[in-house]
Amino acid sequence: MAGKGMRCLSEAMRGLSLGAQTCRTVPVRTAPLISRRSMATEAPVSKITRSVDEKWTPITTVPVTVHSFPDLAPRSLETYSAKHLYLPLRRDILHLAVVYEGDNTRQGTAQAKTRWEVAGSHRKVRPQKGSGRARVGNKQSPLQRGGGKSHGPRNRDFGTKLNRKVYDLAWRTALSYRYRRGELIVTEDGLDLPLPEDFLQQAQDGLLTRELEDAFIEKYVGEMLGAMQWGKAHGRTTFITGEERMNLFTAMEVAGENGRALELEDVDVKDLLETGRIVVERSALKEMIKRHRSDLVTSIFLPGQKNTKETTMGTVVYPSSKVSYA
Amino acid sequence: MPPRLPFVQAAQCCRRALEVPPKQPSLVSLFAALSVQTRSASILASLSDNKGAYHKRIRRGRGASSGYGKTAGRGMKGTKARNKVNPWFQGGQTPLIFKHGQKGFVNHRAPVMAELNLDRLQCWIDAGRLDPTKTITPRELVRSGLVGIKDGIKLLARGKNEIRTPINIVVSRASASAILAVEAAGGKITTRYYTKAAIKNLVSGKSVHTDKPLPVGPEHVESVLQQARTSRKHFYRLPDPTSRWDIEYYRDPAHRGYLSHTLKTGESPSLYFKVPGEKALVGKKSKKSADASEERLF
Repeated sequence: MAGKGMRCLSEAMRGLSLGAQTCRTVPVRTAPLISRRSMATEAPVSKITRSVDEKWTPITTVPVTVHSFPDLAPRSLETYSAKHLYLPLRRDILHLAVVYEGDNTRQGTAQAKTRWEVAGSHRKVRPQKGSGRARVGNKQSPLQRGGGKSHGPRNRDFGTKLNRKVYDLAWRTALSYRYRRGELIVTEDGLDLPLPEDFLQQAQDGLLTRELEDAFIEKYVGEMLGAMQWGKAHGRTTFITGEERMNLFTAMEVAGENGRALELEDVDVKDLLETGRIVVERSALKEMIKRHRSDLVTSIFLPGQKNTKETTMGTVVYPSSKVSYA
Repeated sequence: MPPRLPFVQAAQCCRRALEVPPKQPSLVSLFAALSVQTRSASILASLSDNKGAYHKRIRRGRGASSGYGKTAGRGMKGTKARNKVNPWFQGGQTPLIFKHGQKGFVNHRAPVMAELNLDRLQCWIDAGRLDPTKTITPRELVRSGLVGIKDGIKLLARGKNEIRTPINIVVSRASASAILAVEAAGGKITTRYYTKAAIKNLVSGKSVHTDKPLPVGPEHVESVLQQARTSRKHFYRLPDPTSRWDIEYYRDPAHRGYLSHTLKTGESPSLYFKVPGEKALVGKKSKKSADASEERLF
């Protein structure tokens, strides 16, 4: 327990130092003073490469502060796996996911009538010869006014496919991108927007008209988010909750220019990348990660065992390998 | 939350760890620093797939500048420019298909068996994906991902020297050498009649596996009804074979069929061909009675 406490404390200290920075970077070891002193003409040492003797120890966990809302007081500190919230930014994977979502969101219900579907008689409009005008067949011809459309839109499915593991990786990459930029704000469960008591009382008593209510909420939310630097001027804010919260969802619908609120079921990768920051309640974040880790969890069925344990990426670890029953 | 710097400054901060700063700040970079924009831009605009990940489709016959315009890559004049050449065309010689005609046919009604070889079975057991201490039925085989759901499962003998675990396995069919190999390893093998629907029910837990045939006869009615009334959940029963070929297969002890216990001693698994001695005996009997009537008539 003591060891865990110390670890938590050190994580907290690291979290504080990270929080003070504008963007989270892996702490870089500083070289001793002598080697830091350099000539004016000397080329600076690249920080991309490392020397052989320096052991590479990638971080395996990252700290996440759980805040209360809306005062954003830190309430607890949690550690998440780096595979969940500290993945490298892969623009190609994000692109694949966003395009895949867009393709599958298309309704594909545009439909124009062809010449065979346009109603009417198929009588010949005028005799073939003798009228001195161009020869015509029936009036459903695409050349005629009111005729059918040639090569018009038809009902179709624009949906494309993407491998589940790629999509899940994109989801966690999007979360990691937000986390690394300090744009992923995790709140306690039950994220909702507290509205002033007297306003709620008056609204309940029916003293306010619909327009008055909306105008108040719009102004209230605008000022509140503006003061937090979360509003329209700072790229809007997306709130994500496990299920619909009445105050929050109504308020964000009214004050839509400052952000939006989404249920967990409605969120996709594009939503995670769109606005200035993501405010998500703790359980919703956990659920998101749980649903999108097919590349980390083995799908192999083992008798008498539930497959929830995460394995190392790309390799399957069997619990008992090469057991002989002979 | 400490107040955050605007996006562009934050992005510069991120980049600083990786980029090598220029030796001298150029005039251009100084001017660029002056015009810092303070708006939050989404990453969505800068997403793209890796270079070379997409191949642009060749649009044939869409103009001379495409390089595939006038003849669309088909050269000039002739059959290949206008039509296609049939795959069986032999340059004018009478093709085989017309000379000899079609041979054989494909039986679309034949049951499709999932093939299961002994080496893969042993591999699955070694990996802990199958439990050899319990009976291995199609349910276990499908759930462990060893075979898919088809009309049945046939055990084949590839890697028959590798099988060393004594197992108790029930499958649809088994090759003779597979039966030998499993039994040589101290295991037991039974073949049972399955259909695709039966295997689906077994996998989804709507059926209970048994290697006994359905009870037939009025004496079983009461017990079956009693069980149906008392049990809460309804389970689909596994079917028994109805066609001659299937009944004969599962009656055969050489196939370790689950109906082989119904054979009397000396009885053939075939439903039509009798053992010669028995047939002769039956013939004698009828002849006797015929003789008696003949005697009475004349």
